[in-house]
Amino acid sequence: MKLPPVEYEAPTTVTEAIDVLAEQLDEASVLAGGQSLIPLLALRLARPAVLIDINGLDELSGVSATDGWVAIGAMTREYVAEESEIVADAVPLLAAALPLIGHEAIRSRGTIGGSLAHADPAAELPAVARALDAEFVLRGPSGMRVVPAARWFEGYLTTARRSDELLLEVRFPAAGRGTGVSFAEVARRHGDFAIVGLAVSLVLSGEVISDARLAFAGVSDVPVRATAAEDLLVGERPSAELFDEAARRATDDLDPPADLHGSSDYRKTVAAAIVRRGLRAAADNARERQ
Amino acid sequence: MAEIVAERYTGASIKRSEDPRILTGAGRYVDDIKLPGMLHAAFVRSPLAHGLVLSVDVSAAQALPGVVAVLTGADLEPMTVPGPDPLMALLGWAGPTPEFTLLATDKVRFMGDPVAIVVAESRYLAEDGCELVEVDYDDLPPVVTAAFALDPGSPPLFANLGDNIARPHSRNEFGDVAGTFAKADRVIDFHIDVHRHQNVPMEGRGCIASWDAGLAAMTVYAATQSVHITRTGVATRLGIEPDQVRVLAGDIGGSFGLKIGASREELAVAAASRHLGRPVKWVEDRGENLTASGQAREESFDVRAAVSHDGDLLGLDVKTVIDTGAYPGMGMGAMVPDIMQAMLPGPYQLAALGFESTAAITNKATYVAYRGPWASETFVRERVLDLIAKDLGLDPVEIRLRNVALRTDPPASMITGQPLVGVTSKESLDRVAQLLDFPAFRRRQAQARAQGRYLGIGVATFIEAAPGPRGPDGALGSESMRLRLEQDGIVALFTGQMPHGQSHQTTLAQIAADEFGVPFEQVRVVVGDSDVVPFGLTGGSRSATMTGGVALHGARELKAKVLDFAAYLMEASAQDLLITDGDVWVRGDPASAIAVSEVARRAAAGQFGADVDAALEVEATFDGGAGGWSGGTHGAIVAVDVETGLVQVERYVAVEDCGALINPAVVEGQIRGGIAQGIGAVLLERSAYGEDGSFQSATFMDYLMPTTCDVPRIEIEHLETVPLDADVNFRGVGEGGMVVAPPTVVNAIEDALAPFGVRIYEQHLPPARILELIAAADSGQ
Amino acid sequence: MADITLRVNGATREGSPEVRKTLADFLREDLDLTGTHVGCEHGVCGACTVIVDGRAVRSCLMLAVQAAGREVTTIEGLAPDGGLGPLQQAMWDSHSFQCGFCTPGFVMQATAFLSDHPDAGEQQIREALSGNICRCTGYQSIIDGVLLAAERNRER
Repeated sequence: MKLPPVEYEAPTTVTEAIDVLAEQLDEASVLAGGQSLIPLLALRLARPAVLIDINGLDELSGVSATDGWVAIGAMTREYVAEESEIVADAVPLLAAALPLIGHEAIRSRGTIGGSLAHADPAAELPAVARALDAEFVLRGPSGMRVVPAARWFEGYLTTARRSDELLLEVRFPAAGRGTGVSFAEVARRHGDFAIVGLAVSLVLSGEVISDARLAFAGVSDVPVRATAAEDLLVGERPSAELFDEAARRATDDLDPPADLHGSSDYRKTVAAAIVRRGLRAAADNARERQ
Repeated sequence: MAEIVAERYTGASIKRSEDPRILTGAGRYVDDIKLPGMLHAAFVRSPLAHGLVLSVDVSAAQALPGVVAVLTGADLEPMTVPGPDPLMALLGWAGPTPEFTLLATDKVRFMGDPVAIVVAESRYLAEDGCELVEVDYDDLPPVVTAAFALDPGSPPLFANLGDNIARPHSRNEFGDVAGTFAKADRVIDFHIDVHRHQNVPMEGRGCIASWDAGLAAMTVYAATQSVHITRTGVATRLGIEPDQVRVLAGDIGGSFGLKIGASREELAVAAASRHLGRPVKWVEDRGENLTASGQAREESFDVRAAVSHDGDLLGLDVKTVIDTGAYPGMGMGAMVPDIMQAMLPGPYQLAALGFESTAAITNKATYVAYRGPWASETFVRERVLDLIAKDLGLDPVEIRLRNVALRTDPPASMITGQPLVGVTSKESLDRVAQLLDFPAFRRRQAQARAQGRYLGIGVATFIEAAPGPRGPDGALGSESMRLRLEQDGIVALFTGQMPHGQSHQTTLAQIAADEFGVPFEQVRVVVGDSDVVPFGLTGGSRSATMTGGVALHGARELKAKVLDFAAYLMEASAQDLLITDGDVWVRGDPASAIAVSEVARRAAAGQFGADVDAALEVEATFDGGAGGWSGGTHGAIVAVDVETGLVQVERYVAVEDCGALINPAVVEGQIRGGIAQGIGAVLLERSAYGEDGSFQSATFMDYLMPTTCDVPRIEIEHLETVPLDADVNFRGVGEGGMVVAPPTVVNAIEDALAPFGVRIYEQHLPPARILELIAAADSGQ
Repeated sequence: MADITLRVNGATREGSPEVRKTLADFLREDLDLTGTHVGCEHGVCGACTVIVDGRAVRSCLMLAVQAAGREVTTIEGLAPDGGLGPLQQAMWDSHSFQCGFCTPGFVMQATAFLSDHPDAGEQQIREALSGNICRCTGYQSIIDGVLLAAERNRER
């Protein structure tokens, strides 16, 4: 499985990168960490005419906190985000999900922006971004724009990024007091993609859930917010019965895909179990963090 | 004065001599070899399971810069001679023989079937060239199940056979089958399926073929379990004499039965090299390895068991169908029933066995040998024992103890004829039961169930013919070795064994060092050159006995020869001479010591009369001595998450008897590796085909391999051996782990799911299947 | 083609690989460092693991051109003059491997892991190595080798 012939550009500035993108449009693939793209090329499933390697864009790396938001540059390696104290402190859901991404060697090269631009619906970061209503900062020939997570994931491996735009950074809202998180997933083996995964962020005010965000990985062609369950949870006190009902509401309308690793029914059954477990773990986490 | 004392290596976990190079990246695997002028090959492969090849247009591929040649199946026909697969010929296959061309010409018969070979300056360019070859196919209805293959209405894959039967139905009976079943208190029927999975060595198949036109000589750098069998295959198909072919093998990245003989691809590579007069390398990538190298174990069984109310297993009547895939001539699938039949009774006292089999040809990759090819007989037997136990209200250890043959003198015989000499199955069963502490486990299990957690315990017992007892027909085959004392004092062992992880360069040296009397470092095991080593094959769990035995006896013979010569040199009587620590000396007189290297040097340099034999070399053969069985009992404790279907193996114990251990660490490594494959088979691995015959497990994202988080620490105990032979009591251990681990784990899973009334009649239990089984049992299916 | 210069095992090396050539293939073919093995070419088996700028990476998932200017360590570079470093020695002592094909990947991944987590226990080590596949050993002997190396390191 050798990569097919391809042209290669390695811009040194964001402006240069955007110029090349504008020229190449759909003929180009952006090469960030390469942990998803290079296998696709090696399997000859992807055949871009040009690879635009943005690993030279140092300005796109970094984690910073301002004004209730944590901005993570698109080229920030996953392991850097994993080791970041800012992330651990202010985006605990991201911190919970990162160690589940593949294996250490993958996270050495894989990037926050790359994973979110690739948008595999079974991956962890898209579910996190969707749960937290992250914001995607893009720049193109016509300037900057910000896309909220709710509009970022358009379809299977398809995002709102236009072919002439570069994802610069992803912003996550900083977690408030009383936040508890969990990332629960069912995978065939340690480090595998989730068969079904769930990102949960709850806020407990006293003993009452004042905010609830649940987003699934692996149940559709995009990450899915379980809004019916969220609506049920807000204003209630955590209990097994509540979480059972939340699991039912979260999964009633799911029609997950079937593949070698599980039928649609299997994913739906497991999704319900994951909701119960994820909510319990997030509630426990909230109490620990109080 | 200090006595010179020899070290004792046999039985100790001597550090491997392979490791310094393995650990520093200095191993030499096929893909590491670069020859001047070497080209690289890739194959155009069928995207269809079954189809006619209407035309193959190579013009665009040939025109690609860097592509040196494109040879289609039709091009290769006049360059090669049709012939049987060398391993099948060696094993004496006499059944239906499908006729097919080396690469596909008129027909493709499985997804991945090679159609053309592209040879280019690099593998990258060869793959580019493959994409430019245009093949026009006409779809044919695919034959994707054995059931359809056996239906006379299925389209025959091979014109010369006219049907899809690789091995016609046959039935054998041992003991009084009808009578036993008639008299039994109960007859219980089961249908059991074993799924398709495969070898998956970390290094795929590959070779470099290098034709020297001037010498009319072919050198093949191979990854193979036998340089001689590969040589025969290449010579036969190229229509040249075997002595025009030299096969060299260095380090090999695993095989587990896959890399034997010469595959169609390797033969095409050899033909291409001869055609071009340049070396050609082909190393398969993972997609090819998973899709096309071959698969195994797809078998179904209809089993009838005759039992007494008290749990005596009186008889079994088993009907099996094996799915041998396409090109059964290239693999041993059609021969597996014979071994299954012989092994089915295991270490149990059956009064009767009926066994019938058929092998079907389908549009899937060829059924190849995979570690313990007969393994499903143990799966079926050990599953059936548990199922019967449940029906009769007995516990799994109890029913086995009731039925296992005791060690008697003379030994009991399997109903299929083999004597169970030296078999310690009962002892291993007792010890596993002790280690697992069933009563304590049952208490823990009950507590866990009360908390909604499902733990289970399972055991299974097996024997393997490693090499097997000296049975009614007496023969165990024979193993050859040449041993030579070199001038530098090295004792060189030339063996046809071709280690690919078995550590022979260490274990055989241990034996020879002890027997001959030199330090371990002074023995060199020479493998992997068909010009130099005697015939041999690493496989069948035979080498511990056969090669260990010939090394021991050969070293003894060589020593006697050396001492005879040394006696001449030292003017002493050979009976008074010893060799210890590399020195020959007169007993009682350490000052007389001279190094064996000195003896060898003088033998080589001197001129001696006709009555002095200075050729310090022997050709030894060994017939297996008393032979023997290996075997044991394995036990596992699993935890099943009934909400997700995920299974964790919490604890795994193996009590095994492989006779005397040459190197305990090596033995244990082999056992653990086999167990890991068994765990993989049950929980993760499946070679999946769609209804249209498309192969669905062509990457490691789909074909899941067990990892560090799937295989627990495995506790291994070795039973005291029952010595059968004065010298050679080593028995093989390579395959047993993979044979007995699947039923061990499945038995434990069924035990965990007992509260749901689940019964398991299959081997592959991914999470989704676990939930299906629970749901089906719940709804009374 | 792109001309690149990089440091490999402490030495400056140059090459002109096709841009599509992976770092794994470049090391093996262009630099004749065949110790790094290729097991799957889609980033799952870990046999191709090398260390780039201090981090373990899968060399089949990096283009050679992306390694320009970087410090790469392969298995050949772990110990001077073909000797054995402490981890390699511990693995030899523990009978860690059989066929050896997965070995370079495990050794490099474990090297990187231990340098960041010198006091890791068995469960952590198992998780850290869960992205490397071995078909021969069942892993226990490999884990034992890593544990032994860590223990000896602490005693030093």
